[in-house]
Amino acid sequence: MSELTQELKAKIITQLNLEDLTVDDLDDHTPLFGDGLGLDSIDALELIVMLDKSYGIKLSDPKEGRKVFETVQTMADFIEANRK
Amino acid sequence: MIPTAPIAITGMGAISAIGNHVTENFRSLVASKHGIGPITQLDTYHRGRLLVGEIPIGNAELYDRLHLSPEVACTRSTLLALLAAKEAMEAAAFQPGDGYRTGLISATTVGGMDATEQYYDDYLISEKHQPFIQTHPCGYAAEQMGRYLGISDFVTTISTACSSAANAIMLGARMIRAGLLDRVLVGGTDCLSRFTINGFNSLMIYTDSHCRPFDENRNGLNLGEAAAYLVLEAAEVAKRRGKSPIAYLTGYGNANDAFHQTASSDNGEGAYLAMRKALETARLNPTDIDYVNAHGTATPNNDLAEGNALLRIYGSASALPTFSSTKAFTGHTLAAAGAIEAVFSLLALQHQVVFPNLNFSQPIASLGIIPQTELREKKIAHVLSNSFGFGGNCSTLLFSKDHD
Amino acid sequence: MIKPIYIHGSGCISIQPTFEAGYFFDALTSYAQNPVPALDPDYKAFIPALQLRRMNKSMRMALFASRLAMQEAGITSIDAVITGSGLGCLRDSERFVEHLRAEEGSSLNPTPFIQSTHNMAAAALALSLGCKGYNMTYVNNANSFESALLDSLIYLAEHPTETVLLGGVDELGERTPQFWDIAGYLKHEGAEIPTPLDDRTPGEIAAEGAIFFIASQQQSYQTLGKVLAVETRLEVDNPPAFIAEFLQRNGVSTDALDAVMLGCNGDARYDGIYRTLGDTLFADLPQVAFKHTLGEYDTVVAAALFLVLGIFQHQHIPQTLLLNEVSSRTLQRILIYTQRRGQNHSVILVEK
Repeated sequence: MSELTQELKAKIITQLNLEDLTVDDLDDHTPLFGDGLGLDSIDALELIVMLDKSYGIKLSDPKEGRKVFETVQTMADFIEANRK
Repeated sequence: MIPTAPIAITGMGAISAIGNHVTENFRSLVASKHGIGPITQLDTYHRGRLLVGEIPIGNAELYDRLHLSPEVACTRSTLLALLAAKEAMEAAAFQPGDGYRTGLISATTVGGMDATEQYYDDYLISEKHQPFIQTHPCGYAAEQMGRYLGISDFVTTISTACSSAANAIMLGARMIRAGLLDRVLVGGTDCLSRFTINGFNSLMIYTDSHCRPFDENRNGLNLGEAAAYLVLEAAEVAKRRGKSPIAYLTGYGNANDAFHQTASSDNGEGAYLAMRKALETARLNPTDIDYVNAHGTATPNNDLAEGNALLRIYGSASALPTFSSTKAFTGHTLAAAGAIEAVFSLLALQHQVVFPNLNFSQPIASLGIIPQTELREKKIAHVLSNSFGFGGNCSTLLFSKDHD
Repeated sequence: MIKPIYIHGSGCISIQPTFEAGYFFDALTSYAQNPVPALDPDYKAFIPALQLRRMNKSMRMALFASRLAMQEAGITSIDAVITGSGLGCLRDSERFVEHLRAEEGSSLNPTPFIQSTHNMAAAALALSLGCKGYNMTYVNNANSFESALLDSLIYLAEHPTETVLLGGVDELGERTPQFWDIAGYLKHEGAEIPTPLDDRTPGEIAAEGAIFFIASQQQSYQTLGKVLAVETRLEVDNPPAFIAEFLQRNGVSTDALDAVMLGCNGDARYDGIYRTLGDTLFADLPQVAFKHTLGEYDTVVAAALFLVLGIFQHQHIPQTLLLNEVSSRTLQRILIYTQRRGQNHSVILVEK
């Protein structure tokens, strides 16, 4: 599991151009949106693309993303549960 | 300060998915005949998948209708624009070079992208389509139009996403009031392109069905293509040449939501400010408005923000004037939207009728506002027309049967 | 009804270090390439990382140049944003075209699409500066900045107490310069900055940049100069007559000018227009060039205004920019005239 969260952190940093951050700066439980990392609705769409391209998981409704992308940990849980 | 001289509208022209000219558009609107259907012209993966408001005429036929030589590189947005602009000029019955300073202010977001996306690799290896390289910049269409139509005193192009044409119309009025022009052809054009269809699809705001403006269960827009132009004149110029105006442009407002790159603020701050400014320039009260032609794209975000902005202006759902979005007829025509909807607003004034908001069944729970869903005859003196875009660009136009 | 507007601050990012304090074209950065990308300032000095990560070059150049202008004007807020950009956010447009051509039907990243729209620089300024006021973007080829300038004159006549952030921005793409080359726009032989202005070889040096100004109708101790009038014309049969009529309309004779800024860019096909003017209408004036040091792009004329304000301030024309030997006692009133590829003619009248 922690392998997946590490991998996710690296992907999030690249995909969202968070060039000032390193994998170590990201905690598994930091909220990615709002007062946490401060990501927004465009980032959520980028993460949906990432889920599709890297893990073959499609979200058809951006609203679903809100729960899935709460933290790195929730993302990892979702991927584990839905990965093909 | 700039005097607020009356701005007469003496001509209009329009081509959209519901008609090749103004009268055809009107007939479709009163018959509730929408123009949304499958893609037939554009070569894209989404053909057979997404629905669009397409004009069912190929480029070759558009060339013929305009008597353009096939040698001339003209992209679809320009072809559509020329048809609509010619109609507007014929209706206004003027000849460029008649002694009145005449300008052209056009709006587009697609520009020549339909050629660029098609010939992107081809340009590098074959001479065949290289004449289209020069058509890519958004400013190119208006320059071509100016040459074709003989308008040269002033030419410019505006690109503020989906509020572009409203801003072109607004600038035209401001230039006349500032004494810089006597008359100006204003409007916008955007054809369908893979670029925009894929773009809105990537934002997950492209519906898989027909768009449902202001409905609780709306899930995105249909794109459309259109071009529409108006002739604005200093009212005294129109009077001098014995031309009676269709109506007047009495108000306009432009504001920025300054909230997010794409999303509107939930309370519709930019939309609220634009409507406020339009009312102020027209020196009218919200209660003077008889019909609001809403932006109403049917994206979850826009309709919520616009609805909230309307509620802020009017105080309560029951105080709202009759309103509807005509996007379910034409699709969202991007830079042309403000112009095609200006034509619809003028038709509403001319015929004293409100066009229906199609595909609506259930009001947005948090707003409780209900658009006009059937064609309705009513006394209309003032119409407000909204156009909002990415980047927070919000503009509102106000059209009136009379001035002052 | 249109009144002069005062400029209180300016900021410029270009292929010269124009964003450095005190730099004024006495030394030039040379290039032997085409196109030439703009020099990057330390964007992080003005733009928070979370914003910067999603800003393409147009957006970051525009925001940085705007911050410089605001800093110079000593203001922290503005009432309206009026911009021009011939080609908008070109690189993101290319990127999205490339993505959709390669993978239409699969999930496409939305960010390049969002950032491809031409109004994104003006939007980024509004968002970053919290400006909910009037916001406009002109995309009128090589007269895009002039349209923004004209709108600023009108806007401030309508709103005499407000302050406008006004500017132009254009960026280079990766594929598009290849298209320009195919279309015959670009210079090959003699592709250098500073570009020799000897009418020998065809083509222009493509470049990029952002130039922003703070404008209002109020004069202040910080005022750098004022813009009296601007006019554009797509096609002009007789440039000397076009310019003479413009001056006449504005009640200024050529004798009353102290210098003229000309848009020569080393393209032998079109620089003859400036040569003719230099030999006739402007023969007795110091003639100043700028595109040979900054390259060519749709909104580079904004850099001419930036330079004119600098010339007023320094009361000196850098030797690197002078085209002739004529000197002037005072530098109070300068005319800018440019065209590109024989069209998009514009004149701007500026006073100290």
